[in-house]
Amino acid sequence: MELRAMEPQPADDLCLVQETLAGHQASFQLLVERYQSRMFALARHYTKNPVEIEDLVQEAFLKAFTRLDTFQHQSSFYTWLYRIATNTILDWMKRRGRSPVTSVEDPEVLPEPSKVKVAAPDAQMERAEIAKITHAVLEHLPDIFRQVLVMREFEEMAYQDIADVLGISIGTVESRLFRARAKFKEKLLQLHPEFGQDE
Amino acid sequence: MNTCQDARPMIPSYLDGELSEAQAAPLRKHLLECQPCRATAQDQKNLARWFQVAKTAEAPLPVPRDFAARVARRAFQGDRGALGTELAPAPARTGAESRHLRLVLTLTAAAAAVVLIVSMAIRQMTLPNGQDLRADDKKEAVVPLPEAIQELDRLNARERDAAGKLEEQKGAAQIGAPAERRP
Repeated sequence: MELRAMEPQPADDLCLVQETLAGHQASFQLLVERYQSRMFALARHYTKNPVEIEDLVQEAFLKAFTRLDTFQHQSSFYTWLYRIATNTILDWMKRRGRSPVTSVEDPEVLPEPSKVKVAAPDAQMERAEIAKITHAVLEHLPDIFRQVLVMREFEEMAYQDIADVLGISIGTVESRLFRARAKFKEKLLQLHPEFGQDE
Repeated sequence: MNTCQDARPMIPSYLDGELSEAQAAPLRKHLLECQPCRATAQDQKNLARWFQVAKTAEAPLPVPRDFAARVARRAFQGDRGALGTELAPAPARTGAESRHLRLVLTLTAAAAAVVLIVSMAIRQMTLPNGQDLRADDKKEAVVPLPEAIQELDRLNARERDAAGKLEEQKGAAQIGAPAERRP
Protein backbone atom coordinates (compact mmCIF):
# COMPACT_ATOMS: atom_id res chain seq x y z
CA MET A 1 0.00 0.00 0.00
CA GLU A 2 1.26 3.44 -0.81
CA LEU A 3 -0.11 6.35 1.14
CA ARG A 4 1.22 9.43 -0.52
CA ALA A 5 3.17 11.99 1.50
CA MET A 6 2.84 9.84 4.59
CA GLU A 7 6.11 7.98 4.77
CA PRO A 8 8.36 9.61 7.35
CA GLN A 9 11.58 7.97 8.52
CA PRO A 10 10.75 4.36 7.59
CA ALA A 11 14.16 3.21 8.80
CA ASP A 12 13.51 4.78 12.19
CA ASP A 13 10.14 3.09 12.33
CA LEU A 14 11.73 -0.28 11.71
CA CYS A 15 14.24 0.33 14.51
CA LEU A 16 11.47 1.34 16.88
CA VAL A 17 9.45 -1.76 15.97
CA GLN A 18 12.43 -4.01 16.65
CA GLU A 19 13.19 -2.26 19.94
CA THR A 20 9.55 -2.59 20.96
CA LEU A 21 9.64 -6.30 20.19
CA ALA A 22 12.78 -6.51 22.33
CA GLY A 23 10.76 -5.13 25.24
CA HIS A 24 11.46 -1.40 25.15
CA GLN A 25 8.28 0.40 26.17
CA ALA A 26 9.77 3.81 25.38
CA SER A 27 10.26 2.81 21.73
CA PHE A 28 6.60 1.90 21.35
CA GLN A 29 5.70 5.18 23.01
CA LEU A 30 7.75 6.97 20.34
CA LEU A 31 5.89 5.13 17.59
CA VAL A 32 2.58 6.15 19.11
CA GLU A 33 3.71 9.77 19.43
CA ARG A 34 4.82 9.77 15.82
CA TYR A 35 1.47 8.66 14.37
CA GLN A 36 -1.11 9.60 16.97
CA SER A 37 -2.12 12.87 15.25
CA ARG A 38 -2.84 11.11 11.95
CA MET A 39 -4.77 8.41 13.72
CA PHE A 40 -6.89 11.01 15.50
CA ALA A 41 -7.47 12.78 12.17
CA LEU A 42 -8.54 9.49 10.59
CA ALA A 43 -10.92 8.55 13.40
CA ARG A 44 -12.64 11.91 13.40
CA HIS A 45 -13.97 11.27 9.92
CA TYR A 46 -16.18 8.60 11.48
CA THR A 47 -17.20 10.16 14.79
CA LYS A 48 -17.19 13.63 16.25
CA ASN A 49 -17.23 12.33 19.82
CA PRO A 50 -13.76 13.05 21.33
CA VAL A 51 -14.04 10.13 23.75
CA GLU A 52 -14.88 7.72 20.94
CA ILE A 53 -12.04 9.09 18.82
CA GLU A 54 -9.55 8.55 21.63
CA ASP A 55 -10.90 5.04 22.34
CA LEU A 56 -10.67 4.06 18.68
CA VAL A 57 -7.10 5.30 18.30
CA GLN A 58 -6.02 3.61 21.52
CA GLU A 59 -7.67 0.38 20.38
CA ALA A 60 -5.85 0.58 17.05
CA PHE A 61 -2.45 1.05 18.72
CA LEU A 62 -3.08 -1.77 21.19
CA LYS A 63 -4.06 -4.11 18.35
CA ALA A 64 -0.98 -3.04 16.42
CA PHE A 65 1.18 -3.82 19.46
CA THR A 66 -0.23 -7.34 19.81
CA ARG A 67 0.45 -7.99 16.12
CA LEU A 68 3.77 -6.23 15.89
CA ASP A 69 5.61 -9.49 15.27
CA THR A 70 3.55 -9.96 12.09
CA PHE A 71 4.73 -6.65 10.61
CA GLN A 72 6.46 -7.77 7.41
CA HIS A 73 8.36 -4.56 6.56
CA GLN A 74 7.02 -4.88 3.01
CA SER A 75 5.02 -1.72 3.49
CA SER A 76 5.71 1.26 5.70
CA PHE A 77 4.77 1.07 9.36
CA TYR A 78 2.15 3.78 8.83
CA THR A 79 0.52 1.85 5.97
CA TRP A 80 0.40 -1.23 8.16
CA LEU A 81 -0.93 0.77 11.11
CA TYR A 82 -3.47 2.53 8.91
CA ARG A 83 -4.92 -0.80 7.81
CA ILE A 84 -5.28 -1.94 11.41
CA ALA A 85 -6.87 1.38 12.38
CA THR A 86 -9.34 1.26 9.49
CA ASN A 87 -10.35 -2.29 10.36
CA THR A 88 -10.72 -1.27 14.01
CA ILE A 89 -13.06 1.53 12.95
CA LEU A 90 -15.04 -0.82 10.67
CA ASP A 91 -15.42 -3.33 13.51
CA TRP A 92 -16.55 -0.55 15.82
CA MET A 93 -19.11 0.61 13.28
CA LYS A 94 -20.43 -2.95 12.98
CA ARG A 95 -20.68 -3.27 16.77
CA ARG A 96 -22.62 -0.01 16.86
CA GLY A 97 -25.03 -1.43 14.33
CA ARG A 98 -23.84 0.85 11.59
CA SER A 99 -22.80 -1.75 9.11
CA PRO A 100 -20.38 -0.32 6.60
CA VAL A 101 -21.13 -3.00 4.04
CA THR A 102 -24.87 -2.74 3.84
CA SER A 103 -26.73 -0.24 1.81
CA VAL A 104 -30.22 -0.05 0.49
CA GLU A 105 -28.71 0.91 -2.82
CA ASP A 106 -26.76 -1.32 -5.10
CA PRO A 107 -23.32 0.24 -5.32
CA GLU A 108 -22.73 -1.46 -8.65
CA VAL A 109 -25.52 0.47 -10.33
CA LEU A 110 -24.14 3.73 -11.60
CA PRO A 111 -26.40 6.76 -11.40
CA GLU A 112 -27.39 8.83 -14.37
CA PRO A 113 -25.28 11.98 -14.58
CA SER A 114 -27.02 14.92 -12.98
CA LYS A 115 -27.93 17.82 -15.22
CA VAL A 116 -27.05 20.22 -12.42
CA LYS A 117 -23.31 20.67 -12.05
CA VAL A 118 -21.58 21.64 -8.85
CA ALA A 119 -19.48 24.76 -8.54
CA ALA A 120 -16.04 24.70 -7.03
CA PRO A 121 -16.00 26.37 -3.62
CA ASP A 122 -16.03 30.12 -3.87
CA ALA A 123 -12.57 31.64 -3.62
CA GLN A 124 -14.00 34.29 -1.31
CA MET A 125 -15.20 31.69 1.18
CA GLU A 126 -13.23 30.98 4.30
CA ARG A 127 -11.42 27.65 4.08
CA ALA A 128 -12.79 26.70 7.47
CA GLU A 129 -16.30 27.31 6.19
CA ILE A 130 -15.67 25.08 3.17
CA ALA A 131 -14.31 22.36 5.45
CA LYS A 132 -17.33 22.68 7.72
CA ILE A 133 -19.75 22.30 4.81
CA THR A 134 -17.80 19.36 3.37
CA HIS A 135 -17.77 17.48 6.67
CA ALA A 136 -21.43 18.23 7.29
CA VAL A 137 -22.29 16.74 3.89
CA LEU A 138 -20.08 13.71 4.54
CA GLU A 139 -21.93 13.04 7.77
CA HIS A 140 -25.16 12.71 5.81
CA LEU A 141 -23.76 9.95 3.60
CA PRO A 142 -24.18 6.23 4.30
CA ASP A 143 -21.05 4.74 5.88
CA ILE A 144 -20.36 2.65 2.80
CA PHE A 145 -19.85 5.82 0.76
CA ARG A 146 -18.20 7.93 3.46
CA GLN A 147 -15.49 5.31 3.90
CA VAL A 148 -14.32 5.32 0.31
CA LEU A 149 -14.43 9.11 0.14
CA VAL A 150 -12.34 9.43 3.29
CA MET A 151 -9.82 6.90 2.01
CA ARG A 152 -9.58 8.47 -1.43
CA GLU A 153 -10.06 12.20 -0.87
CA PHE A 154 -8.50 12.69 2.56
CA GLU A 155 -6.06 9.81 2.87
CA GLU A 156 -5.24 9.83 -0.87
CA MET A 157 -5.18 6.06 -1.00
CA ALA A 158 -4.79 4.26 -4.31
CA TYR A 159 -7.73 2.18 -5.50
CA GLN A 160 -5.80 -1.03 -4.92
CA ASP A 161 -5.11 -0.04 -1.30
CA ILE A 162 -8.77 0.77 -0.70
CA ALA A 163 -9.68 -2.58 -2.23
CA ASP A 164 -7.19 -4.36 0.06
CA VAL A 165 -8.41 -2.68 3.22
CA LEU A 166 -12.09 -3.16 2.45
CA GLY A 167 -11.65 -6.62 0.96
CA ILE A 168 -13.38 -5.72 -2.32
CA SER A 169 -12.32 -5.66 -5.96
CA ILE A 170 -10.90 -2.62 -7.71
CA GLY A 171 -13.99 -2.57 -9.92
CA THR A 172 -16.17 -2.30 -6.81
CA VAL A 173 -13.96 0.50 -5.49
CA GLU A 174 -14.43 2.39 -8.77
CA SER A 175 -18.19 2.01 -8.84
CA ARG A 176 -18.54 2.73 -5.13
CA LEU A 177 -16.46 5.89 -5.44
CA PHE A 178 -18.52 6.92 -8.44
CA ARG A 179 -21.72 6.54 -6.46
CA ALA A 180 -20.22 8.11 -3.36
CA ARG A 181 -19.24 11.24 -5.26
CA ALA A 182 -22.66 11.42 -6.89
CA LYS A 183 -24.27 11.12 -3.46
CA PHE A 184 -21.96 13.75 -2.02
CA LYS A 185 -22.85 16.14 -4.82
CA GLU A 186 -26.57 15.43 -4.47
CA LYS A 187 -26.49 16.10 -0.72
CA LEU A 188 -24.29 19.18 -1.12
CA LEU A 189 -26.73 20.70 -3.61
CA GLN A 190 -29.67 19.69 -1.45
CA LEU A 191 -28.22 21.43 1.61
CA HIS A 192 -26.65 24.30 -0.36
CA PRO A 193 -28.48 24.82 -3.65
CA GLU A 194 -26.53 28.04 -4.16
CA PHE A 195 -23.53 25.93 -5.28
CA GLY A 196 -25.43 24.43 -8.21
CA GLN A 197 -24.72 25.35 -11.82
CA ASP A 198 -27.16 24.63 -14.61
CA GLU A 199 -25.67 23.23 -17.79
CA MET B 1 -13.54 4.88 -26.96
CA ASN B 2 -16.55 5.58 -29.11
CA THR B 3 -19.44 6.43 -26.84
CA CYS B 4 -20.11 8.65 -23.85
CA GLN B 5 -21.45 5.55 -22.06
CA ASP B 6 -17.98 4.01 -22.27
CA ALA B 7 -16.20 7.22 -21.39
CA ARG B 8 -18.22 8.60 -18.49
CA PRO B 9 -17.57 5.87 -15.88
CA MET B 10 -13.82 6.20 -16.55
CA ILE B 11 -13.64 9.95 -15.94
CA PRO B 12 -13.24 9.75 -12.12
CA SER B 13 -10.53 7.10 -12.44
CA TYR B 14 -8.82 9.25 -15.05
CA LEU B 15 -8.87 12.30 -12.77
CA ASP B 16 -7.66 10.14 -9.85
CA GLY B 17 -4.67 9.05 -11.97
CA GLU B 18 -5.77 5.42 -11.80
CA LEU B 19 -5.84 4.71 -15.54
CA SER B 20 -2.96 3.27 -17.47
CA GLU B 21 -1.75 5.27 -20.45
CA ALA B 22 -3.39 2.73 -22.74
CA GLN B 23 -6.72 3.47 -21.08
CA ALA B 24 -6.20 7.21 -20.66
CA ALA B 25 -5.19 8.04 -24.25
CA PRO B 26 -8.52 7.16 -25.92
CA LEU B 27 -10.42 8.86 -23.10
CA ARG B 28 -8.40 12.06 -23.59
CA LYS B 29 -9.22 11.94 -27.31
CA HIS B 30 -12.92 11.49 -26.52
CA LEU B 31 -12.90 14.39 -24.06
CA LEU B 32 -11.41 16.67 -26.71
CA GLU B 33 -14.27 15.84 -29.03
CA CYS B 34 -17.20 15.60 -26.58
CA GLN B 35 -18.41 18.70 -24.78
CA PRO B 36 -20.93 16.91 -22.46
CA CYS B 37 -18.19 14.55 -21.22
CA ARG B 38 -15.85 17.52 -20.74
CA ALA B 39 -18.57 19.15 -18.63
CA THR B 40 -18.84 15.94 -16.57
CA ALA B 41 -15.08 15.96 -16.05
CA GLN B 42 -15.18 19.60 -14.95
CA ASP B 43 -18.01 18.77 -12.56
CA GLN B 44 -15.85 16.05 -11.00
CA LYS B 45 -12.91 18.43 -10.70
CA ASN B 46 -15.09 21.02 -8.98
CA LEU B 47 -16.30 18.37 -6.57
CA ALA B 48 -12.74 17.26 -5.81
CA ARG B 49 -11.91 20.86 -4.96
CA TRP B 50 -14.28 20.72 -1.99
CA PHE B 51 -12.32 17.82 -0.53
CA GLN B 52 -8.95 19.41 -1.26
CA VAL B 53 -9.86 22.61 0.54
CA ALA B 54 -11.48 20.72 3.41
CA LYS B 55 -8.41 18.56 3.80
CA THR B 56 -5.98 21.46 3.98
CA ALA B 57 -8.29 23.50 6.22
CA GLU B 58 -8.61 20.79 8.87
CA ALA B 59 -7.27 22.00 12.16
CA PRO B 60 -5.26 19.26 13.85
CA LEU B 61 -7.19 17.51 16.56
CA PRO B 62 -5.63 18.01 20.01
CA VAL B 63 -4.18 14.77 21.34
CA PRO B 64 -4.14 14.34 25.14
CA ARG B 65 -0.63 15.10 26.37
CA ASP B 66 -0.02 11.76 28.03
CA PHE B 67 -1.79 9.69 25.36
CA ALA B 68 1.29 7.93 23.95
CA ALA B 69 2.70 7.14 27.40
CA ARG B 70 -0.66 5.77 28.54
CA VAL B 71 -1.10 3.58 25.45
CA ALA B 72 2.46 2.24 25.67
CA ARG B 73 2.02 1.46 29.37
CA ARG B 74 -1.26 -0.38 28.74
CA ALA B 75 0.27 -2.29 25.83
CA PHE B 76 3.14 -3.53 27.97
CA GLN B 77 0.72 -4.41 30.77
CA GLY B 78 -0.93 -6.86 28.38
CA ASP B 79 -4.01 -4.78 27.54
CA ARG B 80 -5.23 -5.95 24.14
CA GLY B 81 -8.08 -3.48 23.91
CA ALA B 82 -11.78 -4.32 23.99
CA LEU B 83 -11.78 -6.16 20.66
CA GLY B 84 -8.59 -8.04 21.45
CA THR B 85 -10.16 -9.32 24.65
CA GLU B 86 -13.23 -10.51 22.75
CA LEU B 87 -11.19 -12.36 20.20
CA ALA B 88 -8.45 -13.69 22.45
CA PRO B 89 -8.64 -17.49 22.89
CA ALA B 90 -8.78 -18.82 26.43
CA PRO B 91 -5.28 -19.71 27.66
CA ALA B 92 -4.54 -23.43 28.00
CA ARG B 93 -4.66 -24.72 31.59
CA THR B 94 -1.77 -26.50 33.21
CA GLY B 95 -2.18 -29.94 34.87
CA ALA B 96 -2.12 -28.40 38.37
CA GLU B 97 -4.79 -25.86 37.38
CA SER B 98 -6.98 -28.63 35.96
CA ARG B 99 -6.69 -30.72 39.16
CA HIS B 100 -7.51 -27.67 41.27
CA LEU B 101 -10.50 -26.90 39.07
CA ARG B 102 -11.77 -30.52 39.40
CA LEU B 103 -11.46 -30.34 43.23
CA VAL B 104 -13.35 -27.06 43.38
CA LEU B 105 -16.11 -28.42 41.11
CA THR B 106 -16.44 -31.62 43.25
CA LEU B 107 -16.68 -29.62 46.48
CA THR B 108 -19.23 -27.31 44.92
CA ALA B 109 -21.36 -30.27 43.78
CA ALA B 110 -21.19 -31.87 47.28
CA ALA B 111 -22.20 -28.60 48.94
CA ALA B 112 -25.10 -28.23 46.52
CA ALA B 113 -26.31 -31.79 47.38
CA VAL B 114 -26.20 -31.06 51.14
CA VAL B 115 -28.15 -27.85 50.69
CA LEU B 116 -30.74 -29.73 48.60
CA ILE B 117 -31.21 -32.46 51.25
CA VAL B 118 -31.53 -29.94 54.12
CA SER B 119 -34.02 -27.84 52.21
CA MET B 120 -36.12 -30.95 51.42
CA ALA B 121 -36.13 -31.90 55.12
CA ILE B 122 -37.25 -28.44 56.17
CA ARG B 123 -39.97 -28.53 53.56
CA GLN B 124 -41.15 -31.91 54.82
CA MET B 125 -41.47 -30.51 58.37
CA THR B 126 -43.69 -27.68 57.25
CA LEU B 127 -46.15 -29.91 55.32
CA PRO B 128 -49.41 -31.11 57.16
CA ASN B 129 -49.10 -34.66 58.57
CA GLY B 130 -51.32 -37.67 57.92
CA GLN B 131 -53.67 -37.08 60.90
CA ASP B 132 -54.39 -33.57 59.73
CA LEU B 133 -55.36 -35.01 56.40
CA ARG B 134 -57.68 -37.66 57.99
CA ALA B 135 -59.43 -34.98 60.07
CA ASP B 136 -60.94 -33.69 56.89
CA ASP B 137 -62.52 -37.10 56.29
CA LYS B 138 -64.51 -36.83 59.59
CA LYS B 139 -66.26 -33.67 58.55
CA GLU B 140 -69.98 -34.02 57.80
CA ALA B 141 -70.86 -34.46 54.27
CA VAL B 142 -71.63 -31.22 52.59
CA VAL B 143 -75.31 -31.03 51.66
CA PRO B 144 -76.00 -29.64 48.25
CA LEU B 145 -77.59 -26.19 48.42
CA PRO B 146 -81.08 -26.99 46.91
CA GLU B 147 -81.52 -29.87 49.38
CA ALA B 148 -80.48 -27.65 52.28
CA ILE B 149 -83.03 -25.03 51.27
CA GLN B 150 -85.78 -27.65 50.98
CA GLU B 151 -84.85 -29.03 54.42
CA LEU B 152 -84.97 -25.50 55.86
CA ASP B 153 -88.37 -24.95 54.30
CA ARG B 154 -89.63 -28.18 55.85
CA LEU B 155 -88.33 -27.17 59.29
CA ASN B 156 -89.91 -23.76 58.99
CA ALA B 157 -93.23 -25.32 57.99
CA ARG B 158 -93.12 -27.71 60.97
CA GLU B 159 -92.38 -24.81 63.33
CA ARG B 160 -95.24 -22.79 61.86
CA ASP B 161 -97.64 -25.73 62.34
CA ALA B 162 -96.48 -26.27 65.87
CA ALA B 163 -96.83 -22.56 66.70
CA GLY B 164 -100.34 -22.49 65.20
CA LYS B 165 -101.49 -25.46 67.27
CA LEU B 166 -100.09 -23.89 70.41
CA GLU B 167 -102.03 -20.66 69.78
CA GLU B 168 -105.25 -22.60 69.24
CA GLN B 169 -104.82 -24.49 72.52
CA LYS B 170 -104.15 -21.24 74.41
CA GLY B 171 -107.26 -19.65 72.92
CA ALA B 172 -109.48 -22.57 73.89
CA ALA B 173 -108.16 -22.55 77.45
CA GLN B 174 -108.86 -18.83 77.91
CA ILE B 175 -112.52 -19.15 76.76
CA GLY B 176 -113.36 -22.09 79.11
CA ALA B 177 -111.56 -20.84 82.30
CA PRO B 178 -113.17 -18.52 85.03
CA ALA B 179 -111.68 -15.13 85.80
CA GLU B 180 -109.28 -15.28 88.71
CA ARG B 181 -110.25 -12.10 90.43
CA ARG B 182 -113.71 -11.39 89.36
CA PRO B 183 -115.37 -9.11 91.79
